[in-house]
Amino acid sequence: MVPNSQVSRLDRVLLAGAVITGLTAMFLGVYMDAYLHEGISIGGAGTALIAATLGMASSVLFLLMGDGFRKVPLGLIAVAAVCLISGSYFGLFVAPPEHFMGDVQRIMYVHVPTAWNGLLALTFAFVAAVVFLFTNDFKWDARMEAAVEVGILLAFLLCCQGAIWAKPTWGVWWDWDPRLTTTAVLLFAFAGILALRRFVDDPVKRAVWSSVATIISYVDVPIVYFSVRWWNSLHQVQSSPSTVSSQFYLPLRLNAFGVLFLMTGFMMLRARVAALRLAAEVAPPPEELAGELA
Amino acid sequence: MSGGYITGGWGFVWAAYGWTALVLTGYAISLFVRLRKVR
Repeated sequence: MVPNSQVSRLDRVLLAGAVITGLTAMFLGVYMDAYLHEGISIGGAGTALIAATLGMASSVLFLLMGDGFRKVPLGLIAVAAVCLISGSYFGLFVAPPEHFMGDVQRIMYVHVPTAWNGLLALTFAFVAAVVFLFTNDFKWDARMEAAVEVGILLAFLLCCQGAIWAKPTWGVWWDWDPRLTTTAVLLFAFAGILALRRFVDDPVKRAVWSSVATIISYVDVPIVYFSVRWWNSLHQVQSSPSTVSSQFYLPLRLNAFGVLFLMTGFMMLRARVAALRLAAEVAPPPEELAGELA
Repeated sequence: MSGGYITGGWGFVWAAYGWTALVLTGYAISLFVRLRKVR
């Protein structure tokens, strides 16, 4: 329940796994570029993209499991800052304007990475909720709380960036379109889970109820993803490597990895806050106070 | 907009990037403050 300050062998293995999968994801991304530039195989590029995405997701899971690494979140945030600053530089000043949307399309370089990682954070919350219900290990409760909060943060940012992009392209800040509506539902459903946790005093009931609520709310995540395909939507469908110009890749990928590292660092720190709060909450009263109470 | 092409719009671009940076920085600061409080 209480975060472990010792670096265990398991932590070391998990960190090594994170580094290997993260590097693999990056190399596969570069390899995909080589495929596209030479026009060899779009299918191969799609496979590489899926592998890279899985690699990123695995990195998040691996890193979050290793509580022993006290300085890892700070390192991740520093790497994220480098990725985001360089990605934003390329997105704002180097990448060309898009054919129809002109310079407004540059919002994509922050909007899309926010969307990918927001859904990834909520996926981790779902995984943590399921693992908690099976194991009753409160580490997973702390991780779920962290992932839900960071997921809400990114979903909120997603809605703001989307509104700013919608005004010049659609003429309105907001529309009750399927993608936007399901995203708003997602934001409020998970915000409700954090509110629920504030109102329940019993740690066990709080953990169980919020795990169940997280699993139920997660149903909306695939609905958000597929909403643009299932219904007529103002929002465009997902792009693929074959529909995005290669000149847009670099800023998009740098920012995607930047948000991923930032999100992971945030979740690790937030999970530590949750675990320390819980430890203080269930700690026995000091001896003098215990004597007075008796 | 001119002939289907959106002209200008840099104000919206800066707003999106600026708001994103502000929110993420604010959250990072809040995390460190909360961590210091619970320690």
